[in-house]
Amino acid sequence: MWQETLPKAWESILSRIRSFEYSQKNAVLVPAAMLGVGGMLVYWLRSRHKIKTIEMGDGWWGSGERPLKGKEDESIRPFKIETSDKEIEDLHRRLEQARYAPPLEGAAFHYGFNSSYLQKVVAYWRNNFDWRKQVEVLNKFPHFQTTIEEPAAHGLNEGDVVFEVICPSIPGYGFSEAPHQKGFDTIATARIFHKLMNRLGFKEYYLQGGDWGSRITTNMAQMLPQSVKGLHLNIIFVNKQGLRRIISVMLGAYVPWLVGLSREDVRRMYPFIQKNIYELLRESGYLHIQATKPDTAGCGLNDSPVGLAAYILEKFSTWTDKSFLHKDDGGLESKYSLDELLTNVMIYWVTSSIVSSMRFYKENISKVSRLTADARVGVYVPTGIAAFPQEIVHTPHVWAKEVFKNIITYSYMPRGGHFAAFEEPKLLAQDIMHFVRKVEQL
Amino acid sequence: MLLEVFLVLGTVIIYFLLSKKKEETLPFKEGWWGRGQKPDTEEDTTIRPFKVETTEEELSDLFRRLDQARFAEPLENSCFHYGTNSVYLRKVVSYWKNQFNWKKQVEVLNKYPQFKTKIQGIDIHFVHVKPPHLPEGQSAKPLLMVHGWPGSFYEFYKIIPLLTDPASHGLSDEHVFEVICPSIPGYGFSEAPHKKDFDSVSAASVFYELMVRLGFKDFYTQGGDWGWLICTNLAQIAPNHVKGLHLNLASVTKMGFFHLLSVLLGRYLPGLFGFQDEDVRRMFPFLKKGLYRILLESGYAHIQATKPDTVGCGLNDSPVGLAAYILEKFSTWTDLEFRNLEDGGLGRKFNLDDLLTNIMIYWVSGSIVSSMRFYKENLQKGIGTQKHERLTVQVPTGIASFPNEVMHTPQAWAQKKYTNIVSFHFMPRGGHFAALEEPELLAEDILQFVGKVEKEHLWRKEGDQLP
Repeated sequence: MWQETLPKAWESILSRIRSFEYSQKNAVLVPAAMLGVGGMLVYWLRSRHKIKTIEMGDGWWGSGERPLKGKEDESIRPFKIETSDKEIEDLHRRLEQARYAPPLEGAAFHYGFNSSYLQKVVAYWRNNFDWRKQVEVLNKFPHFQTTIEEPAAHGLNEGDVVFEVICPSIPGYGFSEAPHQKGFDTIATARIFHKLMNRLGFKEYYLQGGDWGSRITTNMAQMLPQSVKGLHLNIIFVNKQGLRRIISVMLGAYVPWLVGLSREDVRRMYPFIQKNIYELLRESGYLHIQATKPDTAGCGLNDSPVGLAAYILEKFSTWTDKSFLHKDDGGLESKYSLDELLTNVMIYWVTSSIVSSMRFYKENISKVSRLTADARVGVYVPTGIAAFPQEIVHTPHVWAKEVFKNIITYSYMPRGGHFAAFEEPKLLAQDIMHFVRKVEQL
Repeated sequence: MLLEVFLVLGTVIIYFLLSKKKEETLPFKEGWWGRGQKPDTEEDTTIRPFKVETTEEELSDLFRRLDQARFAEPLENSCFHYGTNSVYLRKVVSYWKNQFNWKKQVEVLNKYPQFKTKIQGIDIHFVHVKPPHLPEGQSAKPLLMVHGWPGSFYEFYKIIPLLTDPASHGLSDEHVFEVICPSIPGYGFSEAPHKKDFDSVSAASVFYELMVRLGFKDFYTQGGDWGWLICTNLAQIAPNHVKGLHLNLASVTKMGFFHLLSVLLGRYLPGLFGFQDEDVRRMFPFLKKGLYRILLESGYAHIQATKPDTVGCGLNDSPVGLAAYILEKFSTWTDLEFRNLEDGGLGRKFNLDDLLTNIMIYWVSGSIVSSMRFYKENLQKGIGTQKHERLTVQVPTGIASFPNEVMHTPQAWAQKKYTNIVSFHFMPRGGHFAALEEPELLAEDILQFVGKVEKEHLWRKEGDQLP
């Protein structure tokens, strides 16, 4: 019935307007048009201001069922890393009984960690490395533990001239308890870290991250932008998809300025196939196996400290400088001391956290749909990006802008690789200061 | 203008016709894989008997490591979806410590005669079993069987008697075999190459030299996993000496437009692409059964093809880690559904003694790292890029297609590479480790294949081209 009346009514309105005099037509059409345009303008302005966020949600990662009654224990307990004679003797015994397979002639680091050099590292580890002394070094900054969504999250506080720094351990890494349930991803981590900051009494804070830290802090900025004063990253991940991206990559080789690429971008990104596909394939085997079979991949590493060291230190070699592949010793000691490297390895060893650390890859990578969900939500908080030259993959400013809508600083760092904070702490600190100063001025 | 067009077209057509007829062989790959420089002296070609041995020291070292094993608790309800479940692994380790008898298993291994001989600078280990008795007027047919990763020559211990003595096992004794099972260099008791670049063609060349040294003019070959590729290469290197090639895996690595089209449309127009009903059942939906499955299950191949020394390091030092890594494959590659089971279904098709014996071979020989390097040597330049991948195989071929193989290759695809497929059968049950899991089924298929080849004299005999 309404199918007949509606067109009829519309027709009669139209014919009435047509029958108007010119000036009368204007009187109707102009306001109608303005209303239309105005409406669209208002909608557009409002949609810009209504920043999309990702849902915070809630979670339970402890063993078994979440207890129905009773609030979670919210106390923040001071924590000190400890060791024992038993732990050190067990380690020494394993180091002494290690079995090695000789490398191929001329292999350097092309087949992975060179076992001839590994034996030298293990000799140092057994005879010179002093874990008790390193534990004191770790304990020089105050540590705490608190229970959030059950696992005990662990963090450091340090009063500094400018910053008060909080460095948590991702649940499943080091001294933060591992989740017992499936599904613990970067969004769950982001939520837990917000709760931590809240529990510490902070309403607004800066965030800094690289590697998984970059994904987690980005999720934190997407979740609760009102709490994030600024986001500083030393690596960014943007979905490289779409025909537009392919075209811009192809054009970028010849007319970079046309697609917004700087000379430095080109220097770092091309030859494109070599650097972004071939090298990425060569270096992502660990990611593939950890994202699919973490319990298998981590099993031997949790039982053999030498295997654990080889696996972890390979990354500290190749991700610091790609040319280190050609060196018999993987160039490790040119940028780090064995004490520093082994202390990091020991944190995984004494906490038996290698397997749970690897599960993080599966929880985050196997969910393709979830990835696109938070990729659609942009990042609106003031962002600072430090692009290190030896980072595994270079993301130019023009691509970063698609996700990070409010880039305050983008710096081409003069040297350094993936482990920026470890390798070039001064450079990174300077860039963080530079970024924060700019944000404070806004 | 028309003339030029016809000339070009004509040339193109002739080129294609000629290039199809030209059956190129793969050149034999010379090599020296020993330590340091190749010496000037002649290589020692003696064949020495070999026995697997163990010592108290070896056993007590193993037990010490099993005792000190550190496990990480699995996530709740994860079964085998995150890899080998460590709760189940604890049970395996307990059996390994308390019930598994390595000394007894060593005797089992030594029940078949084994030998070693130096080829291209490295010691090659092999099992050589002759038939206990031959029917009147028959001679034993030599059969080279090649294992894969993470398997070993031990995988063939159940099928060997079915082939060397079929009559005693209820099979027809029309054809009786003399079985040779070598260990791939870098696996088990075969010395690992010391130089880079030892790939499947190198292995095929070494095994060809082995068969020549053993005095065989022509022989059959059988393989799955890496054995599939090595035997295929052997058939490409020496087509006049390989009477027949039997495979329980027949992957296709050179994919083209035809394959893409058949993946997109094969479900709806199977006949057009030569797909049978069973092919469609096993392959589609393709995303789930092809692409995602490959992605989910190929992490090990990715890391082994890029950083073998890194991933193998911990496994060579922790027998528990080694067991977890290898057992996962014996679970998932036997039946993908086993990922939903808390014990990975491992007890259903295999017994722990067999599984642990295979693992012990990797452990006592310290060969896990070198076994993984084979992936890098074969895959580092990419899949589908090697010369041998572009060449076809004209030797009579028999394919036993097992239903639980990780990815199914239909005959329509296989025959583009294997141009002389004599038999292609859908096996009723079984997975990747066919020889160990379904020895009777596999033996029957080999026997019927050889029967066909022999009856119709399907192998060619032309002039010898090789040393």
